[in-house]
Amino acid sequence: MIPTAILFLTGLLATLLGVEAPVRWVRWVVRAGLALALGAALFFGAEGQAFGGLFLYDGFARVAGVVGIVAGLFASLVGARYLERTGMERFEYHALLAYSVFGVQVMAASANLVVILIGLEILSLPLYALAALRYDAKSEEAGLKYFLLGAVASAVMLYGIVLLYGATGSFAVSAVGQGPLYLAGLLLVLAGLFFKASLVPFHWWAPDVYQGAPTPVTLYMATGVKAAAFAALARVVVGAGVGGLAGAVVALVVVLTVFYGNLGALAQSEAKRLLAYSSVAHAGYIALAVFGPNPAPAMGFYLFVYALSTGLAFAVLSQLDEGEGVPFAGVKGLIKKSPMLAGVLAIALFSLAGMPPFAGFWGKYLVFVEAARGGQYTLVAFALLTAVVAAYYYMKLLALAFFASAGEGGKTPEVPALAAVTMGLVGFLVLALGVFPGLVYGFFNVGNLVP
Amino acid sequence: MIHVLIFLPALAGLVALVYPRWAQSLGLLATAVSTVLGFGLLLGAGSGVAAYAEIPLLKDAGVYYAVGADGVGAVFAVVIPLVVFMALLAVREAPGRMIGLALLMTTGLLGIFLSLDLVLFYVFYEATLIPSLLLLGVYGGRDRVRALMKFALFTLSGSLLMLAAILAARFVGGAESFLLRDLLAARIGGAAALWAFAAFALAFAIKTPIFPLHVWLPDFHAQNHPSGLADVMGTLYKVGVFGFFRWAIPLFPDAFQAFQPYLLFLAAFTALWAAWIAYAQNDWKRMLAYGALSHMGVAALGVFSGTQIGAAGALFLLAASAIYTGGLFLFAGWMHARFGSLELGPTSGLARHAPALAAFGLILFLAMVGLPGLAGFPGEFLSLLGIWQASPWLALLGFLAVIAAAAYVLGAYQRLFHGPPGKIVAELGGPEWGFAVLATVVIVVLGVYPALFSTPISEAAKAFVSVLGGGQ
Repeated sequence: MIPTAILFLTGLLATLLGVEAPVRWVRWVVRAGLALALGAALFFGAEGQAFGGLFLYDGFARVAGVVGIVAGLFASLVGARYLERTGMERFEYHALLAYSVFGVQVMAASANLVVILIGLEILSLPLYALAALRYDAKSEEAGLKYFLLGAVASAVMLYGIVLLYGATGSFAVSAVGQGPLYLAGLLLVLAGLFFKASLVPFHWWAPDVYQGAPTPVTLYMATGVKAAAFAALARVVVGAGVGGLAGAVVALVVVLTVFYGNLGALAQSEAKRLLAYSSVAHAGYIALAVFGPNPAPAMGFYLFVYALSTGLAFAVLSQLDEGEGVPFAGVKGLIKKSPMLAGVLAIALFSLAGMPPFAGFWGKYLVFVEAARGGQYTLVAFALLTAVVAAYYYMKLLALAFFASAGEGGKTPEVPALAAVTMGLVGFLVLALGVFPGLVYGFFNVGNLVP
Repeated sequence: MIHVLIFLPALAGLVALVYPRWAQSLGLLATAVSTVLGFGLLLGAGSGVAAYAEIPLLKDAGVYYAVGADGVGAVFAVVIPLVVFMALLAVREAPGRMIGLALLMTTGLLGIFLSLDLVLFYVFYEATLIPSLLLLGVYGGRDRVRALMKFALFTLSGSLLMLAAILAARFVGGAESFLLRDLLAARIGGAAALWAFAAFALAFAIKTPIFPLHVWLPDFHAQNHPSGLADVMGTLYKVGVFGFFRWAIPLFPDAFQAFQPYLLFLAAFTALWAAWIAYAQNDWKRMLAYGALSHMGVAALGVFSGTQIGAAGALFLLAASAIYTGGLFLFAGWMHARFGSLELGPTSGLARHAPALAAFGLILFLAMVGLPGLAGFPGEFLSLLGIWQASPWLALLGFLAVIAAAAYVLGAYQRLFHGPPGKIVAELGGPEWGFAVLATVVIVVLGVYPALFSTPISEAAKAFVSVLGGGQ
C-alpha cells in the first residue's frame, strides 16, 4: 500500500515542481521517491487491501511492484549520459517515469479485471509519451506505433472483460464460466495481456518500439512493464485454470514465443533490436511458470533476475548510444575502450543465457521446475532447445565486445560515476545471487496468485 | 577441508585476475595445497563417501550444495590440481589473467567430480564452460571465434537438454531432492527414463567426446593458446566418461541397457577411427587431439561394458591420460616456443642436440602408447579386459586402436626426434626440469604401483556395478 502511495505522490510532486524548479531537482526528487518506495516495499511489507478488495497489495503484488521500482530506479540512475547527449533532459521525463512505475503497482495489485485494465492504462500512457520523447523520426515512430497498437490492445482487452462479465457476472479473475461467450471473453483478455507481455503473436510492436525508443526508456519497458504484465497474466491464467483453454493457449504461445523470439534475434545486427527479440524470448520462459502448482516464487524470481540482467545490458547500451541506436560495430572491441562496460555486459549476457554461476540460471531453473512439476516436459525440452540458439547470439555479441579488434573512430565512452557505481552494484548482485540464490529466495516465496 | 580443496584455486584465480603478476606463484601455491588435501582424501578413501558435506542452497526447491569424495572423487581430487600444478610449472610465458582463468576452471572441475547433488553437478559443469570459453576467445589463434562457437554450441545443446532430463529425473519419480541418494532411491523407469537417458547420453557423448559428436575437439585444440595450458584444461574438462559413470548409467540403468549396444559400437568406432586420423596429422595439437580422442573411445568402451573391471579401467585411464596427454600438450607448447610453429616437421633431429628433451618426450609418448610400467597401461588394459567380458568382438576393435596408437605415436617420434638434424634449439633447462621430473615420477609411479589409484576406483566401481544389477 505505502509504496504505491509514495509513487503517486512522487509523480505529482515532480510535475508541480518541474514547472518552476530546475530539472536537476526533479531528477533527484524522483530518484528519492523511487528509493523510498523500494525501501517501504522491502522492509515494511505493507501488505493490505483497499476499496473493498479491488486493490489487493498481496505478496505477489509486492514482488512484481519491487521489480517495477527497481527497473524505474535503474533507468533513472544510468540514463543521465543518454539524456544529456540527446537533449532529452526535461522534467517531464522524470515525472512520467514515476507515474508509470505507479501504474505497475496498480496493475500488479489487483485480482479484478477492471482495476488491472486501469493499472495497464496508468503505466502505458506515460510510456507512449516517453517513447516519443527524443523528438526525432525514429522516436516518434516508436511512440506512435506503441500508442496505436497499445490502444487497440487495451480496447480488445476491455471488450473481453465485458464479455466475461456477461458470461460470469463478475470482474474477478477467479470467476470461471462456460460457453462461447466466456471463452471468447477469456481469449480477448489474454490477447490484451499477451500484447503487453510481448508474447508471440502479439509481439510485433516490440522490436520497433524497443529500438526506436530512448535507450533508458527501453530499459524500463523491457523490465518494469513486463513485471506488471506478467503479474496480471499469471493471475488471469491461474484464475481461469491451466487445465482448460487458458493453459492450452499459453502453451501454444510459449512455444511460438521461444521459437520466434530466439530465431528472430539471430538475424539482427543492431544491439538494441537483438535485446528486444531476446526479451520476447524471455517472456516465453517466464510464462512457463504458470503451469506449475506454485508459480509465484518462480515467476517473481525470474522477473527480478531478468530485470537486473536485461537492465544491465540496456544500461551498457545507454552509455554507448549517441541517439542513433547501437549497431554491432559500436560494440566491437569494447573491452579495449572500456573494460568496465565490457565486463558488466559479459555478466549480463551470461546471466541472460542462463549459465551458472549467474542469477539468470536460477531463474530459468525455477521456471523449468515449475513447468516440470506441472508435467510439461515437452514444453521444457523445447524451451531448452531454443535456449541453445539464444546462447549463440549472446556469444556473438560477447565475442564482438571481447574478441574482435576495435573498429575505427573508437571513442572511449565516459561513464558518469553514478551510472558506473549502479552498474557495478547490479553486476555484483547478479553474480552474488548466482552463487547464493537462497539469499533472496525467501522474499519471492509468496502464496496464492488468486484470492 | 573439502571446501578449501575445491575453492582455493578459484580464490587464487580471482586474485590473479586482479593482480596478474602474482598469478603463477599464487596458482602453484593453491594447486599444491589442493593436491595435498586431495592426497589426504585419497589415503582415507574407503568404500563409502569421505568428507561429505551438505548445505541447503535452495531448500524449498530441493537443491543442496552437497560434496563428498568416493574413491573416484578422491582420485580426481588429486589428479586435477596436480595436473594444473604441473602445467603451471611447465608454462613460462603465459599471461597472468590466463592463469587466473585456468585456476577458476580448476575449481569448476573439482566441483564436477566431487558434487553429489545433480543440480550442483550441473552448475559446476556449466560454470566451467565460461572460463574455458574465455581462455579460447581471448588467448586463442586466428580462427578462435569460429572454434569457440562450435565448442560452445555443441556443449550447450547437450547440457541444456540434460537440464530438462535432470528435472525429469526428480519429478517423474517423485524424489525428495536432487541429492544422488534421493534420486537413486526413487529411480524413474519406462519411456521417461529412455528419453532422460538419451539426453544425458547426448550431453556426455559430446563431452567425452564420441564420434560423431567430436567435431568441436580438433578446432578447439588447434586454436587454443600455443603454450598448451588451455589444452590441458580442456583435456581435464572431458568429463563425459565420468558423467556416464556417476550419473547417467546409475540413474537410468534399464535405459542404459537398451542403448548399450549402440553406445559400445560408437565408442569402439571412435577409438579406432580417431587413431587412424591421428596418424595422418601434420600438426602437434591436431595429432594429440585425435590421439586423446582415441583414448577416450577406449575409456568409454570400459564404462559402457557395464563391468566392474571395465569401469575401473576407464576411470583409471581418464585420470592417467589427463596426466600424459596434458603433458604432451605442454611439450608441444615447448616445441612452439623453440621452433615458432606447431608443425611436426621442423623438430627433426632433436634427439641429437637436445637428448634430455627428446627423452622426456619419449616417456610421454610411451605412456600414451600404453607401455606396461607406465601410467597408460593399467587403465587401457583393464578397460579392454572389461569389454572383453561384455563383447569380445568389440574388444578386438579396441585392441586394434591400441595397436594403431603405437603406429602413429612411434611414427611421429621417429619423424620428430630422429632423422636429419634441423634447427639447433635450447636443451631442457631451468624450471622445465621441474615439470619433466615430476611428470616422469608420476607416470612411473602410476605404472608400477597402479593400486594407488585402482584400489579406491575399484571400490567405487563395485557400487556402480551393484546399481546395474549383477555383472562381474
